[in-house]
Amino acid sequence: MVNWFASLPNFSAYGTPTYFIYLLIALLPMGIGLYFGKRFEWYEALISFIFIFFMFDGHDYKQALSLIAYIIYQTCLVMWYFHYRQKKNNSMVFYVTVFLSLLPIIIVKFTPAMVGHNSLLGFLGISYLTFRAAGTIIETRDGAIKDINWWKFIRFMAFMPTITSGPIDRYRRFSKDYQKVPSREKYLSLLEKAVLYLFIGFVYKFVVDYFFAQRWLPYVEQQAMAHAPHLSWWVAGVAYVYTGDLYFDFAGYSLFAVAISYIMGVETPMNFNKPFLSKNIKEFWNRWHMTLSFWFRDYIFMRFVFLATKKRWFKNRNVLSSIAYMLNMVVMGFWHGVTWYYILYGFLHGFALVTNDWWLRYKRKHFKNLKSTKLTKFIAGFITFNFVVFGFLIFCGFLNTLWFSPAAMK
Amino acid sequence: MTNKKKLWSIFGPVIVALVLVFIFFCLPWSGHHSAKTEQKAAVSLSPTVFKNRSLKVQALSDRHTKYVPFFGSSEFNRMDRYHPAVMAAKYHSYRPFLFGSRGTQSLPQLFNMTMMSKQMQNKKAVFVISPQWFVKQGVMASAFKYYNGSYANLMWVQQANPKSPYDRYTAKRLLQLLGHDGSVGSYATKISQGKSLSKWDRFVINSKITLLHHEDNLFSGFFIKDNYDTRIKPKIKLLPNQLNYADLSANAVKEHDQASNNNPFGVLNAFYNKRMRGKIKRTADSQRHFNYTQSPEYGDLEVVLKQFQRTNTNVIFMITPVNAKWEKHTGMPMKMYYQTVRKIKTQLRAQGFNNIIDYSHKGSENGFMQDTIHIGWAGWVDFDRQTAPFLEKKQPQPNYKMNDAFLSKDWLNLKPTQKNLQQFKSEHHIK
Repeated sequence: MVNWFASLPNFSAYGTPTYFIYLLIALLPMGIGLYFGKRFEWYEALISFIFIFFMFDGHDYKQALSLIAYIIYQTCLVMWYFHYRQKKNNSMVFYVTVFLSLLPIIIVKFTPAMVGHNSLLGFLGISYLTFRAAGTIIETRDGAIKDINWWKFIRFMAFMPTITSGPIDRYRRFSKDYQKVPSREKYLSLLEKAVLYLFIGFVYKFVVDYFFAQRWLPYVEQQAMAHAPHLSWWVAGVAYVYTGDLYFDFAGYSLFAVAISYIMGVETPMNFNKPFLSKNIKEFWNRWHMTLSFWFRDYIFMRFVFLATKKRWFKNRNVLSSIAYMLNMVVMGFWHGVTWYYILYGFLHGFALVTNDWWLRYKRKHFKNLKSTKLTKFIAGFITFNFVVFGFLIFCGFLNTLWFSPAAMK
Repeated sequence: MTNKKKLWSIFGPVIVALVLVFIFFCLPWSGHHSAKTEQKAAVSLSPTVFKNRSLKVQALSDRHTKYVPFFGSSEFNRMDRYHPAVMAAKYHSYRPFLFGSRGTQSLPQLFNMTMMSKQMQNKKAVFVISPQWFVKQGVMASAFKYYNGSYANLMWVQQANPKSPYDRYTAKRLLQLLGHDGSVGSYATKISQGKSLSKWDRFVINSKITLLHHEDNLFSGFFIKDNYDTRIKPKIKLLPNQLNYADLSANAVKEHDQASNNNPFGVLNAFYNKRMRGKIKRTADSQRHFNYTQSPEYGDLEVVLKQFQRTNTNVIFMITPVNAKWEKHTGMPMKMYYQTVRKIKTQLRAQGFNNIIDYSHKGSENGFMQDTIHIGWAGWVDFDRQTAPFLEKKQPQPNYKMNDAFLSKDWLNLKPTQKNLQQFKSEHHIK
């Protein structure tokens, strides 16, 4: 059985243009249903199961087992807490539940740093599912979730278009979409957007990213490695090319996920909004990987600020917000993985947010007459963009390869 | 707009586009390239040429110009006037078709060769081996991906035999370098486990190859670097009309002495300025720990040799030297270098690959090296002196006797002392 499972072909989500042909044919009956005002729940479950199956079968079959165990675990936890919360509201119980919800990802992220290999609990997309589960527990505590059962929660967790890499939806928003069928006009406008997003996604992921990922990145990496372990201008090339690769790959992927959600009648939130046009780093985080940064904003930054204000931990408001920024970004760094470069990346961005706030205060005080012109906007955008690129150079781990494991190459 | 119209306005253009694209790629576009394009492709060293098929296949089957494949790595980019492409254009009846850039080690070359096995059948070839390939981790995944693509992978999968230990080895390496994802990953997994591909697999592979074939025909002629007009052609007229290797060699040494007078290593001035100046202190003793004696590259080389046997290609090998002054400075352990060369030569000779030009001891000869690890000037002259007769004169039929012991971990990890090599040979009944 395991052998048979391991020998099946594996199709990662949105990996090739052909994947879309299979996917869209499979979704066609559902689309027709939605057009005529019907949501075929059982058909949707079947299709979702098949496509998720092919993402995790074959060589990755161990991940499939981890995924199933993980979803059962989180479902039990969420359902238990929901029932508990109907009667009582003890903070300690809440914190322990959140900790238990985060426990698998903590183990998965720390295992490579502690024992040197990946944890068996891990699977592709665990971090995104963790956000959904932990977010649901927090919303339950707030009393915002009135109606949940195990089937609805599993549908939310295992929503096929976004299972492996987001965007990160919220249970309350998602369940509203999922319980009703959009009107015909509404559904047509969703389809129209879906087609547009799919094609922009194709251009991003299969055309533009081809150059970044297949042609340019290996080239600049090779050139930079020729000077290893020393720095060269090629490293700057790696930084810019990697940034382009990351953006077009991830934004393309996110567009696919949103488009496929729309076809399934669910308005999954967008993940990117022209991030490189940002004029400061705060704006950048409102435009880059938005569902992630909003999740962190709502559940880490805001919660910390409320808690600290309530308990009067800090006298100075600016100190409070600075600490909150640092906490927010360093946690995000750890979330990416426990390596020096992810953590440094978190620190760097936390520090940048603090600096940005300081600069705004300083400007208000000392340059009252400084007008916002095209030039100042350009300078601001230029600095922000280059800082972001520098951040991604650290993030991508190339420096780690360059300095600590340079392989001789001819 | 009614809903029906709206539906058409959304999906109509998509349907039309799909139909047009499908028709476009199904049309049997002619893949004919001009003689001029062939000439450019032969010395372009572009990944496009390496990864695709139509250009090399057409050139190697050309009846007017006799192209001979030269496999190697970064040395082919050292285009001075004694470079094999210039020498051949001036003096010889053949033209080298160069396959080699930094990172095109044995395994990328195997996939390259697989795409033109028919054209290599019973022909000759040149293969340049650099001991620098034989690092502990073998070819880097990024370099491999850069020179390989699904066209080559699928063509390899199409003709791979799951019963052959050589093909199972290659499939395993493919999985190590590319990962298990995607369809190529699943085919390679099957082959590595010794299982045949299903009829459906074969159908999918063949239709993909057909589409890639059309794509190749359509686009490969573009985006080729024009080395021929800029770096080869202008140098042809610099060579004397009469071919005399002794004179050429003397001239080459003279030229070398002038062009490498700004540094104590005898490397090209421009190379010294660009890559070495200011780094001399920190590179001292930097290569003391280098080791090429144990590497998966030995297995990768073995599957290349197997491919030569399958196509019955008569091949001459060259093993590259290192600049002696530079290696003294960096502390490269030369004993290790010679052991590596001995191991490579054992693997070649034991299986009947007897045409070997061993330059490993030539690194101290004046004018032989163009930079730290690449030959040039007098090196190229001597290379031509030894390869040209092999390629132009009739040679006896090769008689290769393959032994898959050279794929084993024992061989890959064998420390090549004289004793160990002897022992390995007697254990596996190799003469």
